[in-house]
Amino acid sequence: MTATAQRQRAEAPARRGRPNRSGRAGYLFVAPFMIVFTAMFLVPLIYAAYFSFFREQLVGGTVFVGFENYTRAFGDEQLWTGVGRVGLFFLLQVPIMLVLALFFALALDTGLVRLARFARLSIFVPYAVPGVIAALMWGYLYGPDFGPFAQLAEKIGVSAPDFLGADLMLGSIANIVFWEFTGYNMVILFAALRAVPNELYEAAAVDGAGPWRIAWSIKVPALRGALMVCLIFSVIGSFQLFNEPNLLQGLAPTVIDSAYTPNLYAYNLAFVGQEYNYAAAVSFILGLVILVGSYVFMFLTNRRSRS
Amino acid sequence: MTAETTIERRRAGRAPRTKGRADRSTVLTVGMLAAAAYFLLPLFWVLVASSKTSADLFSTFGLWFSGDFALFDNIGKTVTYDGNVFLRWMGNTLLYAVTAAGGGALLASLAGYGFAKYRFKGNRTMFMIVLGAVMVPTTALAIPTYLLFSRLGLADTPWAIILPSLINPFGLFLMTVYVQSAVPDSLVEAGRIDGAGEFRIFFQVTLRLLAPGFATVLLFTLVNTWNNYFLPLIMLNDPDLYPITVGLARWQGQAAAAGGASGDLVPLVVTGSLLSIIPLIIAFLFLQRYWQSGLVTGAVKQ
Amino acid sequence: MNPRISRRAGLAAALASPLALAACGRHTVDPPANVTQDQIDEAMRTPTELNFWTWVPGIEKEVALFEKAYPDITVDVVNAGQGNPHYAKLRTALRAGNGAPDVAQLEFQMIPSFAITEDLLDLRPYGAGELADQFVEFAWSQVSGTDGEVWAIPQDTGPMGMLYRNDIFEAHGIEVPATWDDFAESAARLHEADPEVYLTNFAPAQGAFFAAMLWQAGANPFGGSAGPELHVDLTSPEAERVARFWGDLSEQDLISVDADFTDPWYQALNSGKYATWVAPAWAPSFLTSAAASTAGLWRVAPLPQWEAGQEVSSNWGGSTSAVMATTRNPIAAAVFAQFINTDRKSTETMANEQFLYPPTNAILEDPTFTGQQLDFYGGQEVNALFADISTTVAEDFQWSPIQEKVYADFTDTVGTAVANKEDAVAAMEDWQARIKEYAEYQGFTVRQS
Repeated sequence: MTATAQRQRAEAPARRGRPNRSGRAGYLFVAPFMIVFTAMFLVPLIYAAYFSFFREQLVGGTVFVGFENYTRAFGDEQLWTGVGRVGLFFLLQVPIMLVLALFFALALDTGLVRLARFARLSIFVPYAVPGVIAALMWGYLYGPDFGPFAQLAEKIGVSAPDFLGADLMLGSIANIVFWEFTGYNMVILFAALRAVPNELYEAAAVDGAGPWRIAWSIKVPALRGALMVCLIFSVIGSFQLFNEPNLLQGLAPTVIDSAYTPNLYAYNLAFVGQEYNYAAAVSFILGLVILVGSYVFMFLTNRRSRS
Repeated sequence: MTAETTIERRRAGRAPRTKGRADRSTVLTVGMLAAAAYFLLPLFWVLVASSKTSADLFSTFGLWFSGDFALFDNIGKTVTYDGNVFLRWMGNTLLYAVTAAGGGALLASLAGYGFAKYRFKGNRTMFMIVLGAVMVPTTALAIPTYLLFSRLGLADTPWAIILPSLINPFGLFLMTVYVQSAVPDSLVEAGRIDGAGEFRIFFQVTLRLLAPGFATVLLFTLVNTWNNYFLPLIMLNDPDLYPITVGLARWQGQAAAAGGASGDLVPLVVTGSLLSIIPLIIAFLFLQRYWQSGLVTGAVKQ
Repeated sequence: MNPRISRRAGLAAALASPLALAACGRHTVDPPANVTQDQIDEAMRTPTELNFWTWVPGIEKEVALFEKAYPDITVDVVNAGQGNPHYAKLRTALRAGNGAPDVAQLEFQMIPSFAITEDLLDLRPYGAGELADQFVEFAWSQVSGTDGEVWAIPQDTGPMGMLYRNDIFEAHGIEVPATWDDFAESAARLHEADPEVYLTNFAPAQGAFFAAMLWQAGANPFGGSAGPELHVDLTSPEAERVARFWGDLSEQDLISVDADFTDPWYQALNSGKYATWVAPAWAPSFLTSAAASTAGLWRVAPLPQWEAGQEVSSNWGGSTSAVMATTRNPIAAAVFAQFINTDRKSTETMANEQFLYPPTNAILEDPTFTGQQLDFYGGQEVNALFADISTTVAEDFQWSPIQEKVYADFTDTVGTAVANKEDAVAAMEDWQARIKEYAEYQGFTVRQS
C-alpha cells in the first residue's frame, strides 16, 4: 500500500489542474462499492463489536461486561497457542506458494511452454474444487491404511509417514492450502503481467535481453503491487486458517483439537459453546493480530526493497 | 485460437530468442506438465470416484477405475434424485454466482479506478478501513450477522447471499493495482481534453484496458460465490433456495446419517461435486481469452 | 417480549443488551392449563401451515398421511441440516425471533439443551401425557423433563447391540463375547492371530458411543441435574471402569482408534479391519449400504455385559419431534408431532421404509416387523433381537443441558487419551474439570460428587 501512496504523491502535481472535478468524480466511483461494503460488511462488524462487550449466559441472562471478554482473551492460552501455530504455518507455507506461483506465471508468460493453456487451467482447477471434496480426496490420499502412499510403502516394505499424525499435520494442511491457492495466486500474477504495457518489454528486447532476463529485471518489478496484494492476503488467509483444519478434523479429531487454529477456536466457541460474545471478542483480537502482522511485514519488505 | 496465434507472432517478433515453436523449452514444458499432474490429481480422483457404485467406492483402489463403470448411471441418479432438486440447486448457484460476479467485478473496477486515479478527502482512510475490515475473521460472527439480516428481512432470501458476495475486497485491491500499472494518466488526460466526462472515459477507454484484471476479479468472485458454503448455510433455511454446496453437504450428512437410510448417497455427493465443477471450468476457459488483451494497451497507445 | 429476559435480567437489561434487537419480534406461547377437545377440533379445522425441520429422507410420506387426516393443515417439510448444523440454525432462528419451525427433529441428548433455554413447548396440555404407554419405557423417560414435562415425542431409538463379522469369528475360532472380559480376551486372541484385524474400533470423537458405554455401566454422570443446577460425576467407579476398559485395550494395541464416518473408516468396514462394530439398532440398515461389499458376512448379538448373566443395554442415537415454544400454532404442531410418531400407518412406514428403529410397542411387537429376515445378516431376524434389547435399556440416564460442549470436550480429553494410549482414567477428571469450568461460566451451579 505504500506503493500506492508513493505513486499518488508522485502523480499529484499532474492532477492539480482540476482537483475539484476529479475529487467529486472519485467519490462517485468509489460510492457503489463503499455503500454495499458498509451495509453488508461494516455494519455487521460494528454490531458484532457491540456484541463483544456483553456476556450472555445460558442461565442468568445478558449483562454488559465492558472489556472483560478482551482481557479474558489476552490471557487465553488456547488462543495464543493457536496464533503461534498459524504463525508457523505462514512461515512454512506462504513463501513456497508465492515463489512457485510467480515462477508458474512467468514461465507461462514467456511463451516457452507447450500446452500452456492446459497447464494454466490445471494449476488453477483446485481453486474451483469445493472444500468438502478436497478434504475427501486428501483424506483418502493421506489415509494411513488405504491411502495410495500407505499402500505403496507397504508394498516396498517400509512404513509410510503418518500424514495425519501430530508431527506432520501442519505440513499436510500446508500442502492442501498450497494445492488450492497456488493457481489462484498464479492467475493474479499472470493477469498483472498481461496488464503491464508492452513497450517496456519491447525496449528490453531491442537491447537483446533474453526472456528470463526480461522476466527478472522488468516483469518482476512490474509485479510488485500485485505481489504485495497476494502477500497481504496470504497473511490474512494464514491467520484466519479455518476450512482445511475444520474438514480434516473429522479424520484426525485427536490431532486437530477444537482450538487448533484461532479461527477454528472462535467458531467452536460460538457454535459449540454458545459463547457468542467471547467468540466475537476473539475474532476482533485475531483481526488486530493480523493488522499488526501485516504492518510489520509491509514495513520489513519495504525497508529491504529500499536498501 | 486466433488471438493466441496473434500474440505468439507478436511476442516472437519482439523477443528474438523465441522465434517459433521449435524454440520452446522442453525442460520448462515437462516441469509445467509435472506440476499440472500434481494439481489435477484430485480431479482425476473425483472422476474415478464418480464412476463407481457405492459398493466399489469403498472397496476398490481409489485412483483407478473398477469393473463397473457407473458414471452415467451416477449422473442420472444425481440429477433425478429427490425430484430433480440437484438441477434446482445448480440453477440457484448460477443465479447467485453470476449476479455476484458481474456486479462485484464492476463495483471493484469502479472503486479501484476511483482510489487509484483520484485524490479526494478520505481516500486513504476508506481504503484502509476496507483492508482492516477484511482482517477480522467473520466465521464466528455469523450469529450477530444473521440477527441483523433477519431484522432487515434479508435472511432466508437470495439477497442474503448476493449482496454480501458483491463485496470482494481482494478484488478491490487487485483492481487498484491493475489501474496503476495498466492505465496511463496521459490516456485519462487525453480523454478529458477531448471533453469526455469522467464516466465516459472509464467505460469507453479504461475498462477495455482493465480487461485482464476485470476478468480475474470476475472469475474469483464467481468461484467464491459458487463454492460459498458458510454464508448460505447460516442464512438460508428454505431448501428451494440452497446453492449446490449446501445441497451436497445435506446429502453428505444424510449419507452418514446415524439412523438414516442411505449410504447410497455417497456416490451422488461425489458425482454432484464433479458436475458442479464443470461450469467453473467452462467459465475459466471462456474468461482466459481476456488475459490476452494486455496487448490492447500497447495498441491504443501507439 | 422474551420472557427469558424479562424474568431473569429485567427489562432494563433487555433493552441494553444485544439480544433486545432480536427479542422484540419473538413470540412465545404460555401453555394453557389443558387444552379441551373442542379447542383441538377447532384448531385442526382452521387452515394452518406448519413448518417442520427434519433430516429424515422421505418423511414426506408420513407427513402426507397427516395431511390426509387433517386436510386443513399443510406441513412444509424443511431439511435444514443434520446434527450440529441443524441445531446451530435452529438456535439462530429461535434467537432471531422469526424463521424458526413449529416442529423440529431433536435427538434425545439435545432435549435438555433446548429445554434450558425455554425453547421447547411442554406437550402435556395437548394430550401427550397419555401416550406414555405406547412407547418403550426408556424412550419415554428420555423425553420427560425433570418436573414431568413432555418435551418431545420419540421418533426412533438406537438400543445398543454388537454387529460382528461371522466369517472372521469362525476363521479364528472366536466365540461371540458375552461379557466385556470375554471381549477383551477375544480382542487379544484375534489381533494375535491376524495383526491386520482388530476386534473393534474405538472412535475417539464419538462421544455418543462413550455415553452409551457409561449408560450401560450404570454411570449416570448428569443424573439429578435440574434447571440451573448441574450435577457432574465422571469419576464414579462405574465411569472409571468404562474409561479403564477402553484405555487398556488401546494401550495394548488390541483395538484400532480410527475416526468414524470417514472414508478410511468405511474402507476399513469393507476390508474387514474391524471384526465387530459395537453399535445400535440403526446400524444394521446403515451398514447394508455403507459396507455393501460385505453382504451376508455380518451377524448381530446383544451388547457384552459387565457381569455374566446380566441383560443391560443402553442407547446411542435416535431422535424425537419437538414443538418449539415460539410456535403460533401450538395445538396443530403438538397434534402433528404426536400423529406422525404414533399413527399406526405412519410408524409402520417409518420403520419399514425409512429404516428408523421404532420406539412404539405396537411396531416392536408386530411380527411383520420383527420377523423380517435380513440377507445382509445371513437371514437373521435382526429387528426381533433389537426389540428384545429395547426393553433392557436402563431408564434413568440423563443428559446435560450443555451436551454439545460435553461431547466436544470428550474428544479433546478422553477420546484423545484413548487414541494416544495415555491415561484414560486421568482424562476423565480433565473432562469433568472442563465441563465444570464451562458450566459455571454459563451460569450453572455445579455440584460434583
